Amino acid sequence: MEEWSRLSLVAELIRDHISLDGIDRYLAETGVQKSDFVLVEPSDFAGEIFAVDGSNVSLCNWSTADVNLIRAGYAVYRGREWRRTVITFADVLLADAKLCRNMFDPYLEQFFGLEGIDLKESDLDRLSSYYRELQEYVAINDALGEAHAGDIILYDGSFDVFEPLRGALAVIFARAEEKGVALLAVAKSSSLFWGEEITLPFVQHTGMAGSRLAPEAAWYISLKDKKVDASQGRWNGQTYIVRFCGQSEHAFRVDAPIFLQGEMGSVLGKLAAYSCSAECLGYPHALFRAHRDIRITEQEGAAVRQRLMARLSQGGMPHSKIRMLMQDFHDILEMKPRI
Amino acid sequence: MAIKEEQIRPNSAASLLNRKVIEGRDTTYCIVSKNVSEYHFIVPFDLSEEERVEVGQIFSIKDQGLTFLARVLNIEHSSNYDGHWDTTMKGTQFFDDDQIFNRVIAEPLGCINKKLEFKKSRTLPTKFASVTRAEKEEFKFLSQVMGDIEVGYLRNGSRLVEEIPVALHSEAMDHHMGVFATTGMGKSNFMKVFAASCMRLFARGESKFGLLIVDPHGEYLKGKSKDLVKGLVHLKKYREGLACYSTNKQNASDPGVEELAISESEILPQDIALLYDWSPPQRDALEAISRILDPASWLEEIQSPEGMARMMQEGFKDSTVMVLVRRIKNELGRNSYIRKRSSLANILANLQKGKVVLVDIPRMSDRSELFLLSVISRYILNEYKKDEQEGQESRKNCLITIEEAQRVLGAGSNTTRFESIAREGRKFGVGLCAITQQPKLIDKQLLSQFNTLVVMGLGDRNDRMQLEESAKQDLSSMDIEIQTLEKGEAVVSTLNIPFPVPARIHRYEDYLRRLEKEDKQESLITRGGFKPFLE
Ligand SMILES: Nc1ncnc2c1ncn2[C@@H]1O[C@H](COP(=O)(O)OP(=O)(O)OP(=O)(O)O)[C@@H](O)[C@H]1O
Ligand SMILES: [Mg+2]
Repeated sequence: MEEWSRLSLVAELIRDHISLDGIDRYLAETGVQKSDFVLVEPSDFAGEIFAVDGSNVSLCNWSTADVNLIRAGYAVYRGREWRRTVITFADVLLADAKLCRNMFDPYLEQFFGLEGIDLKESDLDRLSSYYRELQEYVAINDALGEAHAGDIILYDGSFDVFEPLRGALAVIFARAEEKGVALLAVAKSSSLFWGEEITLPFVQHTGMAGSRLAPEAAWYISLKDKKVDASQGRWNGQTYIVRFCGQSEHAFRVDAPIFLQGEMGSVLGKLAAYSCSAECLGYPHALFRAHRDIRITEQEGAAVRQRLMARLSQGGMPHSKIRMLMQDFHDILEMKPRI
Repeated sequence: MAIKEEQIRPNSAASLLNRKVIEGRDTTYCIVSKNVSEYHFIVPFDLSEEERVEVGQIFSIKDQGLTFLARVLNIEHSSNYDGHWDTTMKGTQFFDDDQIFNRVIAEPLGCINKKLEFKKSRTLPTKFASVTRAEKEEFKFLSQVMGDIEVGYLRNGSRLVEEIPVALHSEAMDHHMGVFATTGMGKSNFMKVFAASCMRLFARGESKFGLLIVDPHGEYLKGKSKDLVKGLVHLKKYREGLACYSTNKQNASDPGVEELAISESEILPQDIALLYDWSPPQRDALEAISRILDPASWLEEIQSPEGMARMMQEGFKDSTVMVLVRRIKNELGRNSYIRKRSSLANILANLQKGKVVLVDIPRMSDRSELFLLSVISRYILNEYKKDEQEGQESRKNCLITIEEAQRVLGAGSNTTRFESIAREGRKFGVGLCAITQQPKLIDKQLLSQFNTLVVMGLGDRNDRMQLEESAKQDLSSMDIEIQTLEKGEAVVSTLNIPFPVPARIHRYEDYLRRLEKEDKQESLITRGGFKPFLE
């Protein structure tokens, strides 16, 4: 078919370049060596694992500003046993560039002792994402308050964070170090890449290399001095690629603060013991649960949208006006009657 | 308009952090959905053998002052995970047991209020109302709606609830009863238990109907001694409630068993019609007999040359009439119980007194049995019709048992006698108790007139369908349960009891032992809720 002529081109490209025949080129171009793969020995762990996550859905959006439902919190496990899930933030946010200081500053001041946020023009259209991140840091901070020395806190994401919030993260790192709590960020997707002619996915290819070099085992490699940019200088830590479970194909990007450098093997060993659930093989189970407990579902978003409209209506606003303000033209195109 | 600062900017740490902690809450054994006609609750997926939930079990839901009862229809594997998670499952190393469970789908039976009244429910239990296996406490109200003819104990799934006897109502017996089961599942055993309870009622002076059992297999009178299966005569304590007639010389020599006799004058040409397959001219001739010959002595007449001649005068061929005569002679020769004397008046009197009347006809052929049954039941129906006109107050109703009832109540069967009892017997106080292993062969419309159904294990889907489609109480949701009933287990559906009740029918021999032991006088007083028999 004419209109799909590029499909075969893309397939060719994937076959020839992205799916690796061998790992020689990968090793040569990234500087990764066989000896970089450090095996992880799963070990029992009597402490608690905290997994922090956040979620965000848009209720209505005027491009210039939007209304979001945001939730952040964490799940707590001891061994295989879920102990509790704590929600630290669940609220509606009117993300307006003109009002944003008022939204960020109290949290930065109260929880991290920071001055206030300094936003650039270009940041303003991602306000709700930043706000969700901020709430996730508040959740990490709360988990830190509950954790004991030796416990592990996992964060769903990366520590290479939005610049104006880096200060909050620095405070968190310092508190974790002081308390003796291990803190790791585990990213489901990452923008790490390698390759000179074409952009190649680094995490996937490291996973493939690991399957060859350390088959059926859990392992990690440090990206220190490797030819891949993980912006490591920017946030005072180190990035790793980790396979948590020998039976799984998946590998993840893991960020850790500098103070954990010497303990990665033992911390990952503890996690490996709890990353092999039948529910989600190969991923730290606490993160799986946190994701499910904290995510905002489509229905939930719809329900809050309805409540918001009911409020407007009670306040005397005519339905036609509500519709005009709240309806998204995308929905009209998709013929989704959300309102 | 100025936007007020505090609207968006809270000014204390306490109001900033709105923490909510979700801790392990047991959501099993709580109602989670769904509507007024279907309840769902969840149970752990790995219950131990004795905690396992089974189809047919009854659960109770306490919700403020009400107790809802619901019967398990089905159980499904389920989880809080969407999609086809099960098919991508990697092992059974579940971390979050609370997210994986079995979903129990239950059908509401009704609701008990504070006054212990049971009603169909027009509402549903509150979400998360707790669910427990129903125990004798919740079933107590059933004791109040049970009748006087005990047949078994209430069953919850496979468990017995011995405190709650299941008992049918004498009052419903002229509204016909059906007993259905695949062969060997316990129909005959049920009938013996039923008969025993009737004998006991008679002995206490509480009988409201006479029960006629015509037994071609010779199993009711004395049972089968080699299998330790007992018969009705073994219930010595209530023997006065039983009248026995037998065609077997040896059985009839027992005291208390009378030799059966039917007088020739009680036999009509239609009865003979049942015995053979007839050609159309032969059938015409049979039908003409009662017009041509004297109805009271036609059997004798037709065998005489004069009778033959009169038939031929009416235009019937001699070969046709010869066949009739030959077959009649045959039949009279074979059935030595046809004589001048007759037991029928006596049988009728016993039925009207409210006794169990057992007509024991061992080793009799299928057709002969039908013939006999036809003669007896016509006699009974006619006498009850007469009595109705004469306004006999004291006589009891009567229930006529038909084994293999599909032979005479089938769709398109030509034995209209039983159909007419089914259709009009009720007016005169005569009911039918149809026993069959093949309800699918019974006429649907007739089936829908049966007010009491005792359904035991039925393997054939068509049999179950036929019952489900015509029963007065809705049985369709119990299909899986009926399919999986074990020997002696039954679902009893009768209009006086508000929902089809799962029962374990007593084993006759056990029941017998219990009845022999019980105190006749005491049981006279505690009518209705009998003392449970706990060995
Ligand atoms: N309620 C019961 N409890 C225990 N055993 C029972 C029960 N009912 C029947 N049985 C056993 O099952 C056997 C078969 O029972 P029964 O003769 O009553 O079956 P049926 O349905 O009349 O069979 P058929 O179709 O051959 O007439 C009996 O020997 C009896 O021991
Ligand atoms: Mg039988």
